[in-house]
Amino acid sequence: MRRRRTFGLAAFGAAAAIALAACSSGGSSSSTSPTSSPGTTGFNAAVTSVVNPSTTKGGTINFGNSSAPDSTDPGNTYYAYMWNFTRLYVMPLMTYKSCPGQCGLQVVPDLATGPGVVSDNGLTWTYHLQPGVKFEDGTTVTSQDVKYAVERTFDRGLFPLGPNYFSGLLGGNAAKYPGPYKDKSSKDKMGLTAVTTPDATTVVFHLAKPFADFDYVAAIPQTAPVPPSKDTGANYQLHPVSTGPYMFQSYQLNKQLTLVPNPNWKASTDPNAAQLASKITMTMNMNANDIDSRLLAGDLQVDAAGTGVQAAARSKILSSPSLKATADDPLAGFTWFAAINTTLAPLNNVHCRMAIEYAASKTNYQDAYGGPIGGAIATTVAPPNLVGYKSFDLYGATTDPGGNVAKAKSELQACGQPNGFTTGITYRSDRPKEVAAAQALQASLGQVGIKTSLHGFPTSTYDGNFAGVPKYAAQHGLGISFYGWAADWPDGYGFFYYIAAGKAISPAGNTNLAQLNDPVVNDLIGKMATTNDAATRNSYTSQIDMQIMKDAAILPGVWAKSLLYRGTSLTNVYVQSYYGMYNYAVLGVK
Amino acid sequence: MAVPIDVATGPGGPEPEPALAISGKAIEGRSLGQIAWMRLRQDKVAMAGGIVVILLILVAIFGPLLVQNPTTYHSDLIDPVYSRPKGPFGGISLAHPFGVEPVSGRDMLSRVVNGARVSLIIAFLATALAVGIGVVMGVIAGYFGGWVDSVIARAMDVFLAFPLLVFAIALVGVIPSSAFGLSGNGLRIGLLIFVIGFFAWPYMGRIIRGQTLSLRQREFVDAARSMGARGPYVLFRELLPNLVGPILVYATLLIPTNILFEAALSYLGVGIIPPQPSWGGMVSDAVTGSFYSIDPMYMIIPGLAIFITVMAFNLFGDGLRDALDPRGTR
Repeated sequence: MRRRRTFGLAAFGAAAAIALAACSSGGSSSSTSPTSSPGTTGFNAAVTSVVNPSTTKGGTINFGNSSAPDSTDPGNTYYAYMWNFTRLYVMPLMTYKSCPGQCGLQVVPDLATGPGVVSDNGLTWTYHLQPGVKFEDGTTVTSQDVKYAVERTFDRGLFPLGPNYFSGLLGGNAAKYPGPYKDKSSKDKMGLTAVTTPDATTVVFHLAKPFADFDYVAAIPQTAPVPPSKDTGANYQLHPVSTGPYMFQSYQLNKQLTLVPNPNWKASTDPNAAQLASKITMTMNMNANDIDSRLLAGDLQVDAAGTGVQAAARSKILSSPSLKATADDPLAGFTWFAAINTTLAPLNNVHCRMAIEYAASKTNYQDAYGGPIGGAIATTVAPPNLVGYKSFDLYGATTDPGGNVAKAKSELQACGQPNGFTTGITYRSDRPKEVAAAQALQASLGQVGIKTSLHGFPTSTYDGNFAGVPKYAAQHGLGISFYGWAADWPDGYGFFYYIAAGKAISPAGNTNLAQLNDPVVNDLIGKMATTNDAATRNSYTSQIDMQIMKDAAILPGVWAKSLLYRGTSLTNVYVQSYYGMYNYAVLGVK
Repeated sequence: MAVPIDVATGPGGPEPEPALAISGKAIEGRSLGQIAWMRLRQDKVAMAGGIVVILLILVAIFGPLLVQNPTTYHSDLIDPVYSRPKGPFGGISLAHPFGVEPVSGRDMLSRVVNGARVSLIIAFLATALAVGIGVVMGVIAGYFGGWVDSVIARAMDVFLAFPLLVFAIALVGVIPSSAFGLSGNGLRIGLLIFVIGFFAWPYMGRIIRGQTLSLRQREFVDAARSMGARGPYVLFRELLPNLVGPILVYATLLIPTNILFEAALSYLGVGIIPPQPSWGGMVSDAVTGSFYSIDPMYMIIPGLAIFITVMAFNLFGDGLRDALDPRGTR
C-alpha cells in the first residue's frame, strides 16, 4: 500500500518531510508563525528568515543538477527536490506554505480553495477548486483535469516512479483500476469510481477507510491537473501543461530544461509561488564538483538536488567567512539510525538493547556523517522538524556523546550478559558514510564487550533480500541494521508507520527493521490515522517517539543536515523546512 | 635419459657470455640456473625490485604484529568541522608516521601494513591458482593438439572475452555471508582469490601452449618418445622442466596485475569487508567520500603502496625474464 519516499534518494540526499499537521483544519491550526526578519544575512540566515526579500523582476536563475530528475512529469516523480521544483509549473490541490522556519511545514490549499472537507465517517474528502485558474494555453482548469491526473498515476507501467498512495487509500474500483489508457469501462476515460466530480470545481475522494492525513496526500504533485486532451503518456514529461508561474519552453530530456513565465498565471490564485525571474534553466548530468565551483563563481544560482555541496567546496566555504555568510546548514528531514532487532536473542531483552543505546559513541556516529555540519546528534528517532515534535534525551546522547560505558555495563548485567554478547551489523556497502558509521559503532560497542561482525549489502538489495528479510536476519544473527528515514509528510504517522508499526513488518522488503511490534506504538499509530482533530493527532507524534526510545528499538544517530550555498545574487531565498532545501517556487535574482 | 637442459645448452651449445667468463677463477661448467642467477645479479634494477618484494613480504608477515591496532579510533586527532586530520599532510606525527584516516582517526601506517597482508595473500594465491590451471591446460593443449587443443583454445577465448569485472561484482553480490564453512572476510578473500585466479589463467595458458608447441618438436622429446615414453611422462618430465622459466617470469608479472585487480574490486565495493583494511579499499574510501580533495594523503599513501608494489614486481619480473630467456638478451 503506501510507499515511502524512495530511499535511493537519500544517497543524494533527498530529504523530505516533516511537518505540520494540520490536516482537516488546514493551515489554520497549530502553526508556528514565521520569525522572519527581512534583511538578515549571515550563516544560516535563510533557515529562519527570508534573505534578500525583493519584488524585482527579470534575470535568469540557473539550476545545476549532478544527475537527472526521475521525471519532470508531476505524476511520476518521487524525488524531494522535484516535488519542490514542480511547484514552478504545476499547482497540486494542496501544498506546503511558502515561508521559512517551522511555518514551512504547514500544508495549505494551492489549487483548492481550502483544506479537504472530511465527512463524519472520515471516508470522503471534498476539495473545491479555485475558479479561474488557467492552463498555459488559456483553458480553465476543471475538476475533471484533477481526476484525470489522479487516474493516470494508476498506470504503474507508464508511471512507476511516483508514490503509490491512491491505490491503497481510495475505495471503489481503485484496487484494480488499470489507469485511463487501459480503461475500457467508460468512453471518456473517467472510470475511477473513487474520485467523483459533482461539478466543474469540486472533486471528491472516496476512501476505503478513514485516513486523517489525506491533505498531505493531496499535496503530492500527483494531484496537479492534467488536461486529458494534452496527455501524451510517457512523453508528457517533455511538456507538462503548466498551471504554475512558469511553463516549459524547451526540454532536451535529461540534458537541459528551460522555463519561461506562464502568461496565464495569476499571482492572486497562487500565493505560494512567484514569477520574478524571466527565465529558469536546469542543466542536468553535470559533475558535482563542477556544480560547486560554478555556484561559488556565480555561473549557477542553485544546486537543484538541494543536498549540499561536496567535500572540496565544503572546506572552501567553511574556511572563508565571506562564503560562509552566504551559506546555510539546515536539517534535511532525514534521521540516520540503527534499528535494533527486538526479536533476536539476546537483543529481545530490552536491557541488552539499552546497553547498545548507552555504549554507542554518538560523536563517532556524527563524525561518520560529516561532523556537526553534516548532522546534529539525534536524541530522538523523529527529527525536530516534525509537526508535534518534543525534545527529550533518554540515554544521555548529549550529556555523554562519547558513550557511557558504566551504564552500558550495568544494562548488560541486567540483561544477564555481563561480558557482552555477539551480534551482526548490517549496512549499505555503497554508502561511504554508512560504512564509516558501522565501523564506528563496532568500535564503540567493542569497548563494553559487545562483539560485532559487519555485513555490508548493496542498497538495491538491502531491503528486498537481506536486512529487510526478517528470516534472513534471524538465520544470520543480524541484530543491528543501519538505516535512514524521511517521511513523505511531516507528522508522526508519515514518519513512523513504516519503521515502527507492527503491521509494517513484512517477510521481504521490510522497513520496520527493528521488527518492533509494541501494542502501545501500534495503538498510537492507528489512532493517528483516524483522529481528525489536528491538535490531538499531533500530540501522538511525540508519544510514539518516546515509546520507541523506551523500547530501545532504534539507536538514533544523526539528524542529517545539508550545507547549502545560496550566494549573493538570489533574492527571496529561504529554506523550506518541509524539503530541507531552498524554496524553488519563490526565488528571484538580482 | 636426455636431460633437456643439456640438449639446449650443453657443451656444444652457445658459449657463456664474455662478461661472465672474466672471473679470476677457473672456468667451470655452469647450469642454466646459475647462469640466469648471475645475469640477474648484474641487473641492478631487477635486484632492487627483488629486494623490495622480499621486504614487502616480510612486512606482510611480521608487520601487523609490530604496528598498533588498525581499528582503534583517534577522534581527538580529527577536526570535526572538516572531518579531516588535524595538522599538515594528513596528520603525520611521530605517533602516526603515515598520518591518520579522516573521520575516524585510525592509524594509517597500521592500515597500510595490514592492507599489505591482504593484498599480497590475494595476489599470491590467485596467481598460484591461475598458474596452476594455466600450465596444465596450456601443456595439454600444446602437446596433444588436434581437437583437445581446439576445445581448450576456445575455452581460453571465452574466458578472455568474459566481462570479468561485471561477473565479479555480480558474484560477490549473490554469495551469502557464509558458505563452504567460511564466513566474513575469510569467505570474501577466498572468493576474490577464486574470481581473480580463475579468470587470469588463459593468459598463462596461451603462453605455455605456445612454448609447448615449439618444444614438442624438439629432438629430446622425439628421443623420449622413441624410447617408449608415454604422454604424461613426456608432459611432466620432459616438457615441464623446460617451461619453468616462462612460468616463473609470467607468474611474477601476473602478481602485480592481480594486486591491481584486487584493488579495483575493493574500490568497487566488492572487495574486503571493513574494518579490515586493504589498499584498494583505502583508495576507494578516499574517492567515494571525496576525501582526496581535502586530505590528499589519504589517497596518496595507499596509492603509493600499490604503485611501489606493482613496480617492484614488474621490475623483478622483467629482470627475471631477461635472465632466463637467452634470446631476450641478445
